[in-house]
Amino acid sequence: MIPNRKIPRRTLLRGALGGAAVGLALPPLEAMFSTRQARGEAPSSAPIFGVFFWANGTSWHGGHGQTQGQGGHPDLWTPAAVGPGYSPSELLAPLAAHQVSVATGLEPKTAWPDLPPGQSDGHMRGFMVAMTGDRIRPEGFDHPSHTLTALRPTLDQYVAKHPQFYGNYPTRFRSLVMGASPIRFHDYGHWNAISYNGPDSLNLPIMDPAQLYSMLFDVPADLVQVGRRAKLLDAVLGDAQSLRARLGSGDRQRLDAHLDHLNEVQRRLELTSGTCEEALAPPADTSDLLVKTEIMGQLLAVALHCDLTRVFSFMLTSPATNHVFGNLGVGNAMHQICHDGQWEQVRAITLYQMQCFAKLLDQLASFQDPMGSTLVDRSCIFGVSEYGEGWQHSVAEMPVVLAGGCNGNLVRGVHVREQGGNISKAHVTMLRALGIDTPSFGWNGGETTEHLTGILA
Amino acid sequence: MAWRHVGGLISALLIGTSAGCYSGAPEQAEGSEGPSSGDSSASAGEGGDVDSGGDADSGGSMAEFEPGSPVLPRLTEAQYRNSIDDLLGPGLPTPALEPDTNPYLFFNIGAASTTLSEVGAQRYEEAADVISRAVFDDPARRASLVGCAPEAPGDACVAGFLASFGRRAYRRPLTEEELGRWLMIASELADGDAWRGLQLAVAGLLQSPHFLYRVELGEPDADDPDLRRFNGYEMASRLSFLLWNTTPDAPLLEAAERGDLLTDAGLLAEARRLLDDPRARPAIQGFFSQFLDLGRLSDIHRDPALFPLFTPTLPRSARTEIDLLVEDLIYRQGGDIRGLFSSRRTFVNSELAALYGVDAPGATAITFVPVELPADGPRAGMLTQAAFLMMNAHETETSPTRRGKYIRERVLCMTVPPPPDDVSTVIPEDGGEAKTLREKLEQHRADPTCAGCHAFIDPPGYLFEAFDEIGAFRTENRAGYTLDVSGDLDGVPLASARELATMLVDDVRVGRCMITQLHRHSSGRLEATTEVPALRALESEFESSGYRFRELLLAFVTSDLFRTVAAPEVE
Repeated sequence: MIPNRKIPRRTLLRGALGGAAVGLALPPLEAMFSTRQARGEAPSSAPIFGVFFWANGTSWHGGHGQTQGQGGHPDLWTPAAVGPGYSPSELLAPLAAHQVSVATGLEPKTAWPDLPPGQSDGHMRGFMVAMTGDRIRPEGFDHPSHTLTALRPTLDQYVAKHPQFYGNYPTRFRSLVMGASPIRFHDYGHWNAISYNGPDSLNLPIMDPAQLYSMLFDVPADLVQVGRRAKLLDAVLGDAQSLRARLGSGDRQRLDAHLDHLNEVQRRLELTSGTCEEALAPPADTSDLLVKTEIMGQLLAVALHCDLTRVFSFMLTSPATNHVFGNLGVGNAMHQICHDGQWEQVRAITLYQMQCFAKLLDQLASFQDPMGSTLVDRSCIFGVSEYGEGWQHSVAEMPVVLAGGCNGNLVRGVHVREQGGNISKAHVTMLRALGIDTPSFGWNGGETTEHLTGILA
Repeated sequence: MAWRHVGGLISALLIGTSAGCYSGAPEQAEGSEGPSSGDSSASAGEGGDVDSGGDADSGGSMAEFEPGSPVLPRLTEAQYRNSIDDLLGPGLPTPALEPDTNPYLFFNIGAASTTLSEVGAQRYEEAADVISRAVFDDPARRASLVGCAPEAPGDACVAGFLASFGRRAYRRPLTEEELGRWLMIASELADGDAWRGLQLAVAGLLQSPHFLYRVELGEPDADDPDLRRFNGYEMASRLSFLLWNTTPDAPLLEAAERGDLLTDAGLLAEARRLLDDPRARPAIQGFFSQFLDLGRLSDIHRDPALFPLFTPTLPRSARTEIDLLVEDLIYRQGGDIRGLFSSRRTFVNSELAALYGVDAPGATAITFVPVELPADGPRAGMLTQAAFLMMNAHETETSPTRRGKYIRERVLCMTVPPPPDDVSTVIPEDGGEAKTLREKLEQHRADPTCAGCHAFIDPPGYLFEAFDEIGAFRTENRAGYTLDVSGDLDGVPLASARELATMLVDDVRVGRCMITQLHRHSSGRLEATTEVPALRALESEFESSGYRFRELLLAFVTSDLFRTVAAPEVE
């Protein structure tokens, strides 16, 4: 219910791009800076979409394609039984309290070109298909320098920009892109971020809790000045036009993306208003991933509760991470210990990463709306890693968790198993649960029209 | 499409990756960009055969030089902050900005190929607000910046300031329309307060793409309309960002205005002036630290129980050592920059002195002193020093493969292809009879699928087995087995890393690699195949200067590589 969205302020300013009419005919500021709180509306009950990403899959077993040593290792991920009310496996046990659903056996189905070589590498292919439903962008791919990019937006951005998700009234932040461990494998591409808008357009995660806090909750005392800042952007947009005309097509696309972002920033400035009442004190940073997840999760939960956003991604660790889990007695970087075949260490790390996932869900579960629904009840949270396991980079048996009830559109606590199934069935499931028309999802061999039976309500 | 700016040489980079590592003649890559013109400056195949001379194919058949495409680099974080300092004075707030990325090693390539994120745009907005308010809320500061007292929004003081500040911010004079736009802002949004109007106009200028991006698109050359060259102001910007990593100063903009930068003499005079200024030092160090990939030192961890000499500050100290060595080679000694790989002179603080086991009177935790490494010791040049050894080792195991790969890729600018898609890269945890990592790797090489590349990568890497995971000298591994530290480069047997250092001084690929990397750093993209003739021409100038880096910079900025540009591509 959005009865009082009063001022089509943008349309007033639209004609001002040339600079001539800036500053004219503005309505009173308090009328412009309206948010749900300022309007005195009930908290939102709209669905929430989130991604929880962790690095290097799970501990390997025969189902991934190769066995280590004599007889290999047991599968600690896949629950023994399928269907509702499954008993969680060792590695899923931390998530049991939140009745997550899990889909096992899924894998990417996209084809990959022979050239440039290396595009089948699980780190990159598995990640890209899990997050975009498409293969890596072959142009510009360079395995020796680990440079790569996406063909299309990752799921968080696909949802945040889909007209059927926010409709005409997006929240102040279309999405929040966050992360915990700053340790990366490489400096460019998804090695330091998991959210893409499209080719060469990354959303680098906010890793500093204080920065996240300030972005969400710091509201300048002088809202009149905030209004001037918003108007100033019309002049900036106007100033860019003479440059735009001179650029080649590639750079023009980059500049246009920048200018689109400025429109969003302007909208955000216009929506700046009184704070979210639950705002917390600015937090300190920490290198303890569990504590950090709790801190970031708390800030996220408040932001979701106040309807500052309805889409988020949280990268606990980046793909192929070099994070050293010293707190678990592991001395080497995770990427390395995977390749070194340190199965017990990967088992401990995976369990810990699931504890972090649970910690995030704990924060979201602690906020209820007046009807008694928690943020988890409203959410569809995609828990995923870049491949099945990191020892051999196998993309068989990708770990897929669907947490939350998505306002009753997802069945909770179900284990669905489709050995060799298309991972984009999980994408279709989530998108349909969110009310986004999805006749098909996936590209370049990854297409599917089907959702996962038994999870979509 | 954005990748093209980076990927001009994709086809050349592919040569060798499809050909395997060690074969002589590079195989032509098929597909992505049509027939390659045969440049193999970045290929592994060429370098695998050192005796034939890497430049055997650079003779008469080379196509004529044509300039590369223009790029639109966004200022890197350092360039933004330096520019703010220069435009508005030091000591202003430094709010968070979008982090830089360094594909193909260089921040400028990231800046020219990536797209700003939404949060990045928001951060620019917030930074412009915070910085401009810090200037204009301070009466002394704003008075000294503006130089006159505005009486009313839009008066002559305001107009004069915006014209001169705008010229510095955009690195060229504002057009009439632009000046009119910012004057309008300074009036309309001022609410009667002329200072507030100025603050907002400055905040706007700092968010303009004309400030945030380096707009260097070139124009037709009046003397030869078929050619495009950078105009004077664009040359000022290129020179300043290359040699100072910041916006041009007033004399440089004046030189641009006079047209001086379109002549060899004028360009050289300004380049020399910039190089003589202290601001050139961090800029040149910045190039070397990217070229040598020293940023990786920020992620180094070691278990102090295993490595008593390791401290959390050691990686930073190791980086400082290289910075000082580079500066010394360029400025104090003015000598052969290839000494980077062979010099016994270096700089240590107390923890590096302990690591190297050298006397360093006067060295403390924070004081570095010059030392001469012993002539009969194991070390000479950066490949025997802590930075290289540490960042190319694992936490608890050295890596001849990583160290050898660094030699191939960083020092010699060759391409090491990835392992084939279907091959296991796992080194068996229990190597059976193998007592050392080298023996394990040699077993790995028994697999013919692996042998080609590892025979190319590992042998130079074995030379560094004399140094452990933090760069301490050793003769046996942790299990007590004596280490074989001999190796080879391209089939030439070597007994130690010191011998490699001697050999590299005469290797034509070392200087060539430095030129290639300088061009990538400066241009913000990979070299186009059609630029190779000009790169080759620089090689002989570099050689005749005695490999003095300062001379290379002067030759580079006066070459067509730096002064001409292709027309923007339109699809």
